[in-house]
Amino acid sequence: MIFSRRSASAMVASLAMGLLSTSAIAQTPTPTPGGNLTIAWRANQEPASLDGHIDPFQSTWLFNSFVADPLVVLDGEAKYRPALATAWEVNADGTVWTFRLRAGVRFQDGTPFNAAAVKYNIERIMAPATASKQLASELGPIRSIDLVDDLTIRLNYPQPWVTLLDGLRRMPIWSPTAAERFGLQEFQRNLVGTGPFTLGEWVKNDRMVFRRWADYGGWNPMSTHQGPAYLDQVTVRFIGENAVLNEAVRAGTTLVGFSLTPDSREIYNNRPNFRFMSLGQSGTGLQQVMNIRRPPLSDLRVRQALLFARDMPAINRLLYDGTYIASDGPLDNVHRCFWPGATAMYAPNADRARQLLDEAGWRVVQGQPIRQSRGVEGVPDGTPLRVRWTTIHHREIGEALQSQYRRLGIDLQVEQVPGPIQLDRVNRRDFDLMFLRQRSPDPVILDQVWNSRWDQPGGWAWTGFKNDELDRVVGQLRVVGDDTRRCEIAKQAQEILMRNAVMLPTLSEPVFIAMSPRVQNFQMGSEGNWFFLHSTWIQR
Amino acid sequence: MGRYIANRLAQLIPVLFLISVIVFGILHALPGDPAELILQGAEGGAPPERLRELKTQMGLDDPLIVQYLRFAGGALVGDLGESIRFRTSVTGLILDRLWYTVELALAGLLVALLIGVPLGMIAAVRQNSWVDTLAMSVAYVGASMPVFWFGLILILTFSFTFSWFPPAGADGLISLVLPAITLGFVSAGLISRLVRSSMIEVLGEDYIRTSRAKGMSERLVLWRHGFRNALIPVVTMVGLTFGGMLAGAVVTETVFSRPGLGRLVVSAILTKDYPLVQGCVLFLAVLYLSVNLVVDILYAWLDPRIRYAK
Repeated sequence: MIFSRRSASAMVASLAMGLLSTSAIAQTPTPTPGGNLTIAWRANQEPASLDGHIDPFQSTWLFNSFVADPLVVLDGEAKYRPALATAWEVNADGTVWTFRLRAGVRFQDGTPFNAAAVKYNIERIMAPATASKQLASELGPIRSIDLVDDLTIRLNYPQPWVTLLDGLRRMPIWSPTAAERFGLQEFQRNLVGTGPFTLGEWVKNDRMVFRRWADYGGWNPMSTHQGPAYLDQVTVRFIGENAVLNEAVRAGTTLVGFSLTPDSREIYNNRPNFRFMSLGQSGTGLQQVMNIRRPPLSDLRVRQALLFARDMPAINRLLYDGTYIASDGPLDNVHRCFWPGATAMYAPNADRARQLLDEAGWRVVQGQPIRQSRGVEGVPDGTPLRVRWTTIHHREIGEALQSQYRRLGIDLQVEQVPGPIQLDRVNRRDFDLMFLRQRSPDPVILDQVWNSRWDQPGGWAWTGFKNDELDRVVGQLRVVGDDTRRCEIAKQAQEILMRNAVMLPTLSEPVFIAMSPRVQNFQMGSEGNWFFLHSTWIQR
Repeated sequence: MGRYIANRLAQLIPVLFLISVIVFGILHALPGDPAELILQGAEGGAPPERLRELKTQMGLDDPLIVQYLRFAGGALVGDLGESIRFRTSVTGLILDRLWYTVELALAGLLVALLIGVPLGMIAAVRQNSWVDTLAMSVAYVGASMPVFWFGLILILTFSFTFSWFPPAGADGLISLVLPAITLGFVSAGLISRLVRSSMIEVLGEDYIRTSRAKGMSERLVLWRHGFRNALIPVVTMVGLTFGGMLAGAVVTETVFSRPGLGRLVVSAILTKDYPLVQGCVLFLAVLYLSVNLVVDILYAWLDPRIRYAK
């Protein structure tokens, strides 16, 4: 897909139409084997470890997918397709999952792939010594694992576990022999899987090199051809400076520039000989969750006023030339389970915001730019209406809102802090509006963020909002397997959340990608931050 | 000379002890729990019991003094602990990146000397002429230019416009050219000013006048008597510059996306990787002190009055 115009609406519309799937990337009929696909990558997204069993980062899992195929793949149309598992079934109440595995597959070290290997991988993730940061929780509370035969495995749960496939799609299947040989510390530098590439070298803070595995059998559904990958090598270069990252493809330094900054559009817009893509990321968007334990956000009217007082389309135009994606509710607008009612519920309405603030006791005082309290419970009279906005990035959104809010007499204090400080503030519940983003096409993230049972150290329910109806509704996302029904539940939850105004949705950050026209069949996943290189090739 | 070196080495012990205590103390006073950081994934929470297990496993439940002694005891035998984030030995991580930083600092120093020394000498010899003004203007520009800006200008010009050098990475000597110029040019300005003032001072000495009176050629006067004597304060400056480059190459490393100790320590600070920050800071302190020690020894060797005065 080439964006040669500045038309943001066209870009967003094309996102909504799903044109960014696999089929969107032009293919030519005569692939040429060989070549080194160089990819410029944001340095701050370099993984700390390459073992996805341990680390929770999308880039770790993506690089793992070059080396190891998972059991299932989430394809460009957001459908689960068989990879190392050829078929699966789940019982009616979602407590027993049975997977039939692909025959004749070998790991890169020559050892066989079978049910025992899958069991080993699951047990490795669940072991406390592994300290898996996410996959362990995604695999869930497995009660037991049965090896039905050499190529059939069954997972038994004490409770329904309907989100298993979402975890399995990211779970690399490593060679048990290699994992045992190298141990937890060293395996990340010696990855062995069944994927199209092997890990060549990893010079931290500089580059990661993957080399074609000649014996790859093409057992990933994203392979559009049989046998090994076309590319000889894939080199990922970690670039620390955004100006250099954005220019890398234009200057011919790399063939692909991934996760560029929004201003990269200026470089590629008028250069039709490059491909430039903007891809949506399903999830919560860049939201700020509200701490409702203390004033002023303990008052629903103030929270609603903050929502009415914002004009995000204007901020999108001002900051990003309209290229960011609207995010009007707890799930962003490109999420398949987005509740459209969120958009209308808090359409920009400054008068309504003023009225709500007046009703809540935050009054305009003659000669003062900021409203002050008059009879607000727990707040001394004359206290200015200050709300703290804490984020770890995208500070500019807070600053743009600051000027919108100031017109209504709200003093928004914007601060950007490093991740550890954010966590510390969260743990002490010392915040007003705190940045929280989750990216997943599965609506179960609503349970993670909003179910009050996760209001505990290490949990993601930060706001102090406890609502029995909401807990019951989002809890069903852990139990109900039917996809359509899950989206209905998610929409119901979003309506409750919006009614209670416990989060401030802003925008959703797309992934910007620039690419040389020589790169062919670069297959995007259904999420903007995922792609497949199984059948990618470079035109000579 | 041996006694002088022994004295200087003994002085390092309390300095290193203080550094280790300060680094340890500051890091533990900062907010944020490393165990939580480990388990706080991108998209999932950690059960409290797992958090407790990990804290015990990492020794974070122990009293601070016990944690410090464990750290200091390990450091004495070269074991700086295990990185929380990378889950590998801190010493290994440092050694993996050490050469990249040393290589950059050496190349930067070379650039600084190649530009700074001739510039300073020309300015001194042609004192108060337009040559002097021009040379010192270049020096001031170099000393006052922000490193990140100068690096970007070099990238835009020589990488993106002319495609002569790679804009990023650490692949061979060619990728070292632009970072070395960036790092070295700033120090060149400082060195040239020092060389100029030192040279002017030396050129005013009686023995220079005597040499000239004896009919010695101007070239010999400058090189044999002028330059060699003017070099003594420059040696100190070069040593400090090299130490500063080792510890302060982080901006250059970031602009040129080079691996190195500077980027390692910054990322460790941001992720609150206690053992890695402690290890890096201690290592950099030892490195800096070692360079200074070498400079002091060299200085004492060049000018015997120094060691006798001590």
